[in-house]
Amino acid sequence: MSPSVLICDDSNMARKQVLKSLPEQWKTSVQTASNGAEALTILRDNSVEVLFLDLTMPGIDGIGVLQGIQKLKLNCSVFVISADIQPEMQAKVKALGAKEFIRKPVQTDTLINHLQQHGLL
Amino acid sequence: MFDFNALLSPAYSESSALIEPVLKQINNQISNQLNTGVLVLDADFNVVIWNRFMQVHTSKKEEDVIGQSIFNAFLELPERWLTRKFASVLQLNTPTFCSWEQRHHLFELPHTRPITTDSEFMAQNCTFLPIEVDSQQKYICILIEDVTDVCHYQGQLQKTLDELATMSRIDGLTQIYNRRHWQESLKQEYAKARRHDKKLSLIMLDLDYFKLLNDNYGHQCGDMVLTEVSALVGTLLRIEDIFGRYGGEEFAIVLPETNLAGAIELADRICREIAKASLTYNTEAINVTASLGVAQLSSTETNYEELITHADSALYQAKAQGRNQVCSAVYAQTSTLD
Amino acid sequence: MNEFHLTEDQQDCLQELINVAMGQASDQLARYLDTFVYLKVPSIESVAAKDLLQTLSQQQNTMAVVSQGFFGYEGIRGEALLAYQEEDSGRIADLLGYEPDELSEDEQLIDISSILTTTFLNVFAGQIDNQMSYNAPKLLPSVQNSLSEHLQQMTFNWDLALKVNINYQVTDFSFNCNMILLIPETAIINIKNVLDRILAEF
Repeated sequence: MSPSVLICDDSNMARKQVLKSLPEQWKTSVQTASNGAEALTILRDNSVEVLFLDLTMPGIDGIGVLQGIQKLKLNCSVFVISADIQPEMQAKVKALGAKEFIRKPVQTDTLINHLQQHGLL
Repeated sequence: MFDFNALLSPAYSESSALIEPVLKQINNQISNQLNTGVLVLDADFNVVIWNRFMQVHTSKKEEDVIGQSIFNAFLELPERWLTRKFASVLQLNTPTFCSWEQRHHLFELPHTRPITTDSEFMAQNCTFLPIEVDSQQKYICILIEDVTDVCHYQGQLQKTLDELATMSRIDGLTQIYNRRHWQESLKQEYAKARRHDKKLSLIMLDLDYFKLLNDNYGHQCGDMVLTEVSALVGTLLRIEDIFGRYGGEEFAIVLPETNLAGAIELADRICREIAKASLTYNTEAINVTASLGVAQLSSTETNYEELITHADSALYQAKAQGRNQVCSAVYAQTSTLD
Repeated sequence: MNEFHLTEDQQDCLQELINVAMGQASDQLARYLDTFVYLKVPSIESVAAKDLLQTLSQQQNTMAVVSQGFFGYEGIRGEALLAYQEEDSGRIADLLGYEPDELSEDEQLIDISSILTTTFLNVFAGQIDNQMSYNAPKLLPSVQNSLSEHLQQMTFNWDLALKVNINYQVTDFSFNCNMILLIPETAIINIKNVLDRILAEF
């Protein structure tokens, strides 16, 4: 039973890194977005259950997407995966509703652990 | 560049347990023959290692250094600043540096160079390296490089360059500004006068019958006259006036913030003093006079060269009217306009 | 980034490595400076070293330049230039945690440059299983003419430059600096090998 997943990051390589770390059965229902605006378009119809979100993107950045999700009152578990690991940033994203903050480069075990902790696996 | 991390790394001991004592001896000898000071501090800034260079150059006793805080061992160190520098090494795990160009020295070590320098102490380049052992214990390695020679010769070079710059502005014989620099100054004064709507005047001065003087008394006499007249004129000028040698026997003076009347008054005085001057050459009395042309910057000039032209015309007029006098450009302009 | 002849994948990989390095470096810096560093996406472009001068002089309010050599394994080495607009240099002492009279403005600029350069390159090196050592940083003469001369001398020895535009914003004051990495051709080949190795994992 695999939920609908969205990976949002402006870097192709980063998207691949996340994809590689996902559990096998999840890999079939993955969409990708390369910027915040694209992500919000996909998220709008409320079918995405798990979002892996980068913070530093041009245009609408990760914070913008989190704010968009709050505004639209979407039902989505957000895991922020970012290079910007400062404590203030981590606190900020959690305050905006992110379930977890994961630092790049993402490791498979770390990702699996977090998913398990939040009852998604 | 020395990689002390490599010297201390465990890789050596792993693969060569038998020859480790030998390696250690080699490392020690390297450290003690280096022509660089080596100090290693622990995370509390106590000295744990020093090498022979330091022993020899500080003539401190081992018990006053090893195990002591570096700030007690070396009282001259700026504690607040250096502590902050150490913190950057430990926290960021990156090296930091201190160059003689910003700070002549940190450690007061007498220099031993066979040259006299401005300081009794060795000029130093210091490097501060992070050292991590067994992934828990952190140390700071300080390398102290003697750059007294570099510092000294750099200073000499700079002095020479400065002298060269000065020389290229000064006329060798009279020691006043040469034409190039004088003209450059006029250019700047012109721009200033235009920008801020200030007064500006110019005196062009030419010694009368100078060629004749050279022919009758020789070039050395001519040189003497040029030198003496320059010196004399120099005493009559204000600090802001710019005096230069324009040609063989031609001089020029820029008078900032001066109107025509003021410039004429000064020119008259210069003219009189030159005529009055009793110069001697080989016991012979030499008399010399000068013709002067004066012009004030008006709204008509579109560049500084035109101002020179106007003053020059006035100078020409002074010559034509019998020499040993001052003419101003008002008249010259009037005559050319007609 | 045509000068380097990097494929799109290699470009993307390099950009991501730099992003991650910037993120970690900013965090280290923020903790050392006891402040928050606002991170913007660093943009990367490559310039031929001979065009570097033109690129630099296109920035207004030139500027102070600090240069520092770096050396890693596998021939990955180069020269890092940090170019600043010379404003706010009085605040740098404060930022670094010194009293303003404890060190000259030149020294402040050199210190912050060294910290920015080495922190970033250390993390970057770590990502590619490498390790860097450094030369002492030097402040290049800031008079416009001699800056050009000096750069001309330097760029004569280097082939290509990677210009990483890093904008540091620290709490309520921002200072802008561009980091330019001058890299010789041999090193670029090595970097491409590393990028390919990483890309092969996916």
